[in-house]
Amino acid sequence: MRIGQARGALPLVLMTVLILAVGSFATVRQDAFLTSFNLNNLLLLAMPLALVSLGQTCALLVGGFDVSVAALMTFCVVVASYTMAFDKTGWALIPGGLVLILVGLATGIFNAVIIRVLKLPSIIATLGTFSILEGASLLLRDHPEGPISSGAVDGLTRGIGFVPIAFITVVVLAVLGDLWLYRTRTGLAMRAVGLDETSSRRLGMATGRMVFVAFVLCSVMASLAGLYLAAQVQIGSPLIGNYGLESIAAAVLGGASLAGGRGSFVGALLAALFLSLIDNVLPLFHQPTEYSQMTIGVLILLALVLYSAPELLARFRTSRAGVGRLETGDGDAAAG
Amino acid sequence: MSITGPARGGNEVSPASPVLTLRSVSKAFGAVQALREVSVDCRAGEIHALVGENGSGKSTLLGIASGFLAPDDGTVVIGEVERRRVSPAESRQLGLGIAYQTYSHVLHLSVAENLYLAAPSDLRPTYGRMDGWAADRLAEFDLQLSPSAPTGALSLAERQLLEVVKALLPQPKVLLLDEPTTALGPEDVDRLHALVHERSRAGVGIVYVSHRLPEVLGIADRISVLRDGVCQGTFEAASMSEEGLVALMIGRPLQLAFPPRHEREAEREVLLAVSGLRGDRFGPIDLEVASGEIVGIAGAEGNGQVQFLRALAGAERATGTATCAGKQLDSSSPLGPLRAGVVLLSGDRASESLFPVLSVRANSTIQVLRRLGKLGLLNRRRERRTVGELVQRLSIRAASIEQPVQTLSGGNQQKVSLTRPFLRGDVKVILAEEPTQGVDVAARFDIYGALRDKSKEGVATIVKSSDPLELAGLCDRVVVMSRGLIVDEIPGDELGERRIVEAIVGSRAGAREAAAHTEDGPA
Repeated sequence: MRIGQARGALPLVLMTVLILAVGSFATVRQDAFLTSFNLNNLLLLAMPLALVSLGQTCALLVGGFDVSVAALMTFCVVVASYTMAFDKTGWALIPGGLVLILVGLATGIFNAVIIRVLKLPSIIATLGTFSILEGASLLLRDHPEGPISSGAVDGLTRGIGFVPIAFITVVVLAVLGDLWLYRTRTGLAMRAVGLDETSSRRLGMATGRMVFVAFVLCSVMASLAGLYLAAQVQIGSPLIGNYGLESIAAAVLGGASLAGGRGSFVGALLAALFLSLIDNVLPLFHQPTEYSQMTIGVLILLALVLYSAPELLARFRTSRAGVGRLETGDGDAAAG
Repeated sequence: MSITGPARGGNEVSPASPVLTLRSVSKAFGAVQALREVSVDCRAGEIHALVGENGSGKSTLLGIASGFLAPDDGTVVIGEVERRRVSPAESRQLGLGIAYQTYSHVLHLSVAENLYLAAPSDLRPTYGRMDGWAADRLAEFDLQLSPSAPTGALSLAERQLLEVVKALLPQPKVLLLDEPTTALGPEDVDRLHALVHERSRAGVGIVYVSHRLPEVLGIADRISVLRDGVCQGTFEAASMSEEGLVALMIGRPLQLAFPPRHEREAEREVLLAVSGLRGDRFGPIDLEVASGEIVGIAGAEGNGQVQFLRALAGAERATGTATCAGKQLDSSSPLGPLRAGVVLLSGDRASESLFPVLSVRANSTIQVLRRLGKLGLLNRRRERRTVGELVQRLSIRAASIEQPVQTLSGGNQQKVSLTRPFLRGDVKVILAEEPTQGVDVAARFDIYGALRDKSKEGVATIVKSSDPLELAGLCDRVVVMSRGLIVDEIPGDELGERRIVEAIVGSRAGAREAAAHTEDGPA
């Protein structure tokens, strides 16, 4: 458990340190960085990735992937350009948002049914969903058109000071999520299902239902991410961002294991913030965004090596200690 | 319970009410009919043994009783409640506890977390007090484990005992134990049996599955026999003998004979020489094994026997020297010993020796593919023929050689891992760790025969086993290990089950205190 906890805390620490490091570097070198305008902008920019990364963490926890999230987010943007069209007031946000959540629910159930009932691997199942949603988006908008109601955008981006209310909500969600995951029985059961489904079933857990719920949650979070993406692009654009891989990257940087059963919502949120920060900072230094792609790639590899280090070290140490103990001779063995 | 059982002819004294009844349960896996209309019941307070060869359907039957598997036909009655199929959660709620042969541990979680997940809601403390609660439960069962240790770090024996504790946590009215002693040494077996007796006196009905017939005859009140998925009847244990049970299990009387030791020519050459080898939990060890010789390693569980074998095979770190046919063994990785012709048959078949999803064919030939082809292309026909011959020779029971090994019974899986030394012409040393663990009687003797065949070809063999009878029957010589050292050696003419047990017990008396200090959990 000690090993597990060290592994659990490491991503949070690393992500916090990296955010502070990049943040302070940018503050010192660029006056434009630490302004409430830029910070507000940064947090809003981070919203779609943050939301979808929380969802992706759910899917990874039960040992699956959801690559359909990017297409779902785009589909939500396209749908929002109808339900929250430019000529509507800010009140359109409520029915519009509900429609998007329903789209998320439906996609999630569709994915979960294919994965649990038809027993297809999640990566294949969601790849199919990805294509279907991509086609549906292009059917509705074959090029970017249909601006989104500015009233709705204002509603989504409202904040206290420079901090968007939505961001505060996401932080609360992530903290509650981690408390649930690491401080309750159902959270433990969720991790157990991801680690070993056969044993979990033998122990009487409703494994099928848990995987089902995880994939539905993932899609619902992705639809909310789509809502914030709509507020960002403010037009019904069928162009798909790279959110599928980025959300997996954020979840993994935040401590999730691709093998399932491990992960942290707070970690995923911090990682999403960090990835957005890099996107935000490089233009301030007039650096091309290609560098951010490469930086992110290198960091993911480094982080993964670092995360698995405690286990490797522990294994190394116990095997050394074992040899050392017996080498003291049989008479002294009792003393050790 | 089957009506056809001969011993059930007369009406005995009023039997206690059944706590678990399976009514004409059938189950097929694909083309294989695992169970055919099997009816068994277990009464309150009785120990009901279930015996049968591997693949006869014992585990399937228990899986259906616990709700892990759904029967194709028939019903399960737990207490008063009759169901077409129960869920594992429901069966636990109804008072059924089960220790699975392959365990129900989530290996990456701690001992405490595993116990917590196994406990029913009314007996669970709040999440924060889990570790203290788990420590109390472990103390209750006299199990010296650290609650925070990862389950994956436990020894096989510790995992097995933990599985039993998990089954007992909900205080079940009926307890199913599937091969609960395969990884246990004699002392732990006694402790477990004491526990089983205590529970049965308290009115718990116990279904006990084991391939160790003496153990079964010693503990059971009634015995049901399965053969090829069909119940051969339920019998009073007192009326049964080992031979009688075996005849029912395999459908014909079996010559329970170990393969004859071949005449030892005077002074065979020493093939494997170990000197001053030491590593985690063992050493320094000096041992010489001649070609054609089978040397047994006896000892109480956890005295370094496994580590010693693994170190020889390069699967564990060690210092000291080992030579094979005069050449120094490079034991820094498994590759060196393998190239030198030293083959380890791991006791952990599922995770260390076999590829569960691959076929019998692929598992057999994976080390010798180069020999079976030309120019980098496999000659499939030749591969099939080679494997087919071996399957016959070792009597491996599989639908075809393309069947994934994970769907085979334990004994047949073990035989598949045994095909490898047969396929390699250059094997010099076989290191067998518990070669018949979880293997039924008939298959065990096939395995003994196979090992002896290899030794006749001049292979030096070391067999680590917790079964003294097996060591006495199979080996030319047995060494006894305690606290990581060889403390006794029993030459061939003195070999006997009793002599081995005495050696183990004798060496253990002095070792116990030391063991208490050196093995205080996987710290």
